[in-house]
Amino acid sequence: MLQCIFLLSDSGEVMLEKQLTGHRVDRSICDWFWEQTVSQADSTKLPPVIASPTHYIFQITREGITFLACTQVEMPPLMGIEFLCRVADVLSDYLGGLNEDVIKDNFVIVYELLDEMIDNGFPLTTEPNILREMIAPPNIVSKVLGVVTGNSSNVSNTLPGATASCVPWRSTEPKHANNEVYVDLLEEMDAVINRDGILVKCEIYGEVEVNSHLSGLPDLTLSFANPSILNDVRFHPCVRFRPWESNNILSFVPPDGQFKLMSYRVKKLKSTPIYVKPQLTSDAGTCRLSVLVGIRSDPGKTIDSVTVQFQLPPCILSANLSSNHGTVSILANKTCSWSIGRIPKDKAPSLSGTLTLETGMERLHVFPTFQVGFRIMGVALSGLQIDTLDIKNLPSRPYKGFRALTQAGQYEVRS
Amino acid sequence: MAPPAQSQRSPSPSQPSGKGEVSDLKLQLRQHAGSRAPGADDAKRELFKKVISYMTIGIDVSSLFGEMVMCSVTSDIVLKKMCYLYVGNYAKGNPDLALLTINFLQKDCKDEDPMIRGLALRSLCSLRVANLVEYLVGPLGSGLKDSNSYVRTVAASAVLKLYHISASTCVDADFPAMLKHLMLNDPDTQVVANCLSSLQEIWSSEASTSEEASREREALLSKPVIYYFLNRIKEFSEWAQCLVLELVANYVPSDNSEIFDIMNLLEDRLQHANGAVVLATIKVFLQLTLSMADVHQQVYERIKAPLLTLVSSGSQEQSYAVLSHLHLLVMRAPILFSSDYKHFYCQYNEPSYVKKLKLEMLTAVANESNTYEIVTELCEYAANVDIPIARESIRAVGKIALQQYDVNAIVDRLLQFLEMEKDYVTAETLVLVKDLLRKYPQWSHDCIAVVGNISSKNVQEPKAKAALIWMLGEYSQDMHDAPYVLESVVDNWDDEHSAEVRLHLLTAVLKCFLKRPPETQKALGAALAAGLADFHQDVHDRALFYYRLLQYNVSVAERVVNPPKQAVSVFADTQSSEVKDRIFDEFNSLSVVYQKPSYMFTDKEHRGPFEFSDELGSLSIGADSADNVVPAQRVEANDKDLLLSTSEKEESRGATNNGSAYNAPMYDGTSMPTGASQLQSELAISNTMVPSHSPSSSLAVDDLLGLGVPLAPASPPPPPPPLKLNEKAVLDPGTFQQKWRQLPISLSQDYSMSPQGVAALTRPQAFLRHMQGHSIHCIASGGQAPNFKFFFFAQKAEEPSTFLVECIINTSSAKGQIKIKADDQSMSQAFSTSFQSALSKFGTT
Repeated sequence: MLQCIFLLSDSGEVMLEKQLTGHRVDRSICDWFWEQTVSQADSTKLPPVIASPTHYIFQITREGITFLACTQVEMPPLMGIEFLCRVADVLSDYLGGLNEDVIKDNFVIVYELLDEMIDNGFPLTTEPNILREMIAPPNIVSKVLGVVTGNSSNVSNTLPGATASCVPWRSTEPKHANNEVYVDLLEEMDAVINRDGILVKCEIYGEVEVNSHLSGLPDLTLSFANPSILNDVRFHPCVRFRPWESNNILSFVPPDGQFKLMSYRVKKLKSTPIYVKPQLTSDAGTCRLSVLVGIRSDPGKTIDSVTVQFQLPPCILSANLSSNHGTVSILANKTCSWSIGRIPKDKAPSLSGTLTLETGMERLHVFPTFQVGFRIMGVALSGLQIDTLDIKNLPSRPYKGFRALTQAGQYEVRS
Repeated sequence: MAPPAQSQRSPSPSQPSGKGEVSDLKLQLRQHAGSRAPGADDAKRELFKKVISYMTIGIDVSSLFGEMVMCSVTSDIVLKKMCYLYVGNYAKGNPDLALLTINFLQKDCKDEDPMIRGLALRSLCSLRVANLVEYLVGPLGSGLKDSNSYVRTVAASAVLKLYHISASTCVDADFPAMLKHLMLNDPDTQVVANCLSSLQEIWSSEASTSEEASREREALLSKPVIYYFLNRIKEFSEWAQCLVLELVANYVPSDNSEIFDIMNLLEDRLQHANGAVVLATIKVFLQLTLSMADVHQQVYERIKAPLLTLVSSGSQEQSYAVLSHLHLLVMRAPILFSSDYKHFYCQYNEPSYVKKLKLEMLTAVANESNTYEIVTELCEYAANVDIPIARESIRAVGKIALQQYDVNAIVDRLLQFLEMEKDYVTAETLVLVKDLLRKYPQWSHDCIAVVGNISSKNVQEPKAKAALIWMLGEYSQDMHDAPYVLESVVDNWDDEHSAEVRLHLLTAVLKCFLKRPPETQKALGAALAAGLADFHQDVHDRALFYYRLLQYNVSVAERVVNPPKQAVSVFADTQSSEVKDRIFDEFNSLSVVYQKPSYMFTDKEHRGPFEFSDELGSLSIGADSADNVVPAQRVEANDKDLLLSTSEKEESRGATNNGSAYNAPMYDGTSMPTGASQLQSELAISNTMVPSHSPSSSLAVDDLLGLGVPLAPASPPPPPPPLKLNEKAVLDPGTFQQKWRQLPISLSQDYSMSPQGVAALTRPQAFLRHMQGHSIHCIASGGQAPNFKFFFFAQKAEEPSTFLVECIINTSSAKGQIKIKADDQSMSQAFSTSFQSALSKFGTT
């Protein structure tokens, strides 16, 4: 049971305080927390669950805003963290991003949202669709409407029917002029390539994002050509369990708008689309660095936005790096970033140069880890393919769109 | 929404005091109060917004209470919401004014719009003013019977709020029974869930006094109720599902088929998008199958995939919470996860608290088949930029080596570390090689060859240096230049600050002497002389012991120092299996994240002075609410403690005398003139000195010595306290707070604790007793490792002049901060000295 929620700005100022139970939590807890944060130099280094002298604190940080929740009783930790994440998502969705100003400008809406999301320390509803029916987002449309109709309240006067309906994620019978549904496969590839150039770990975390604008109560079935490759799946509450269990078919009544239908994991992939080969040789106080990048197995679509980023070890005094393709920049915190963009057909991009070590050091002993980024439109690298999407219970034929995108997630090459 | 009282007292300088603005707002609100003109609502809305924003930044706007209530007559729902927010915040501090709001809230509870009915009811029950409860019962009763589910949802949790304001009113109005009826019959699942959570809390706290309540609480876990919830679980919201699953985890099924029914029913919950639901389900599965070993193992197999997915999806914060649970399971059944070791590989970007958990898991799952790969991976981390993680991974390699049978490859890796020439890598590795040799003496040949190449000058860390010296002594027959290396270390005896190293050095030199006498004689003489002159008690004693042992009989010395040793087979585990089981029973709770069962951080005896900490928080900002900082019995306890601490002193004084009595007659000065004369002078001092307490023998005394160090006179005598403090000083908490607020800080100092002091601080009560022995009394304390905070006071003897101290101690960094306030500023320096000397003696008892 959470007792209090605070929102802190990136300078530690309390922007908002929402007491949830009779046991008032004093604000001084935020000062305590902030002292901890400052002493750590970086709030992301603080664990998300901390014991303060008086309370247990859950904290997450999003876009510089710290969401803090306090409790004095034992409770499932993931419930506290998960809830704060939802609060952050909903606020970001409502306010179109998170920052200090937008929260201060709209604090009344934030209070209203928190009021509906949690009562007496226990989370109620965090489903954005339902909240949207109770509290209208502060967008331009509703402002214009308010002026035109003279009704300046930003709250619909009807209560959401969904709280009583059997599909709690769907508002009552939305109507759309154009019925359309988009299904996106978004995949992230996590890979670790060790010092000897061996792929030690490669897996894909994927999500099926659906954006549905369908009238009435449509019933959808989505099937994959090769569902057997999926290692583990998690579903939005709208997905029926039995059809998946017996036939690996996703059968569901979708929420209106954008939502994450399913997430999955595909383990033990054998190869990566590109290779990155760093090489460091050090001798007599200098270190020669060269990095080669190229296509290993062609996915059939263009590989875009290729970047290689690494942190220079603290013992390096200066670096002189250049590349034959793309741009290299070294930031103040000794992060070196090489953005390559698209890999050209005719040559392999390479980065080379020398690093000067601290005086007195002969050889480099701490080696940087190279973090690689890329994007491939139109391909799901796991190989997952959508077979069919059937829509029942809809008067007119809707438009159906499918897309796929693979990005590098935690893709690291060690040297 | 800071407490109103606070801003009245001390508006922080960075914020506007808000006085002018508030009176301005007051005027404007008055103007708009009765206005029904078009646009009036918009104007009011702006004003309300301003009021709320002042409230949010901590300016006290409670003086607007009357005006706000007058303005609240409106049909605009946003205005109403802001008004409810305001009222809820200030009603508790202004119970008389709160009465004003009852009227309009009660009216709103009968509004035709269900949303307003619900909101009004919620606000009404959030006022938390005890003398208004009579007005709550009516609206609450009708709220529970409302036709709209939203209102019923609000009412169900409002009952709990009422219960917290006035338990008797709530029970007398028969609300629990109404909730129970709703819980079992309402069509809306959110209403059902709220009823459940309210009832659980009400019945749990009533159970101690009312038999009926405890019966009702039991009934929640009865088969029909559990099945009623389970059958509808999919209709519940995700958060309510967590609640239900939590309840089910406590249910004891009557037979095995029931267990399987429940697990079948809940299996799809493992694939829920909300991680909290997944973890709650896992808890149910684990609890249900505890008695069936083979099924329990299948459950592990089943939950593995969802857990691993949860770790890799979602934000870093979420994955940390899941990892903590995974960590628990991995530690319980490492074999089951041995093929998933790749999931525990660390990624570059992960925060170190995540990496640490992963390293521990990698260590646990290592077995014959995967060790090579895991160790290869760990070796890559040793070159990590993040030094603590690099250290941690070297330690992990060592731990794996200690738990394996075939350590061939690992030893090679460890030895490669030594060639990396990074001082922290070398330091960690030396410690590990030492442990490894204690377990596998057969590897000594390979290791010694490499260790012999390390210059002791490159090793600075005490633990590593001690390990190196241990090896030099133990394997001096194999290491060509061991005597000379040891000799050079002995030459720099005075630069060696760690007693642990000096202790090891004494033993190593003696071992070396016994093996290669002619080469080591000089070093031994120098070491013993330096040791006898050492100010550290343990070092002194050990040198004296060796010296006499050699004098008595060299072959006996050989038997004592170089006995045939048995290889260590198992190193002690840090956490008892009982504790691990307790944590497992509390799966899906904070215990798992802290890796401590909850009784250790929630029970009174374990959390020490945690109960004061509420007041502590307000003390530091100077709030006036703490009218009972020190409960009465605490004073009594102090008296008892005082008695206790004096008697302890008597005892230790006795022991000290014995020690010197034992020392004195044995002395004769023949063969070692320098050491001996120093020894004599030291003995002379020790007899006259004020007995203080010798350091505890918690240092890693070389185990072959195995002798408890007797209590004996210690280090130079402390300067006589220049300030005489009143032993029986009395100060009541109110005065303390008042003084603390009024007096300026006259002295603020940083302080480093001795390691013994830090170690002893795990028992803050002992610390308080210790300080009391020095006439410094504690008035409030709190905190949890590693941060402790204490408030002390002391009074000058014969004069009513008081000193107040705030002392913050961080045990992990062994640093403290002291802030002193004094009636008599001129004496604060003197007081600070005696305070610090008292502090420095702590832990040496």
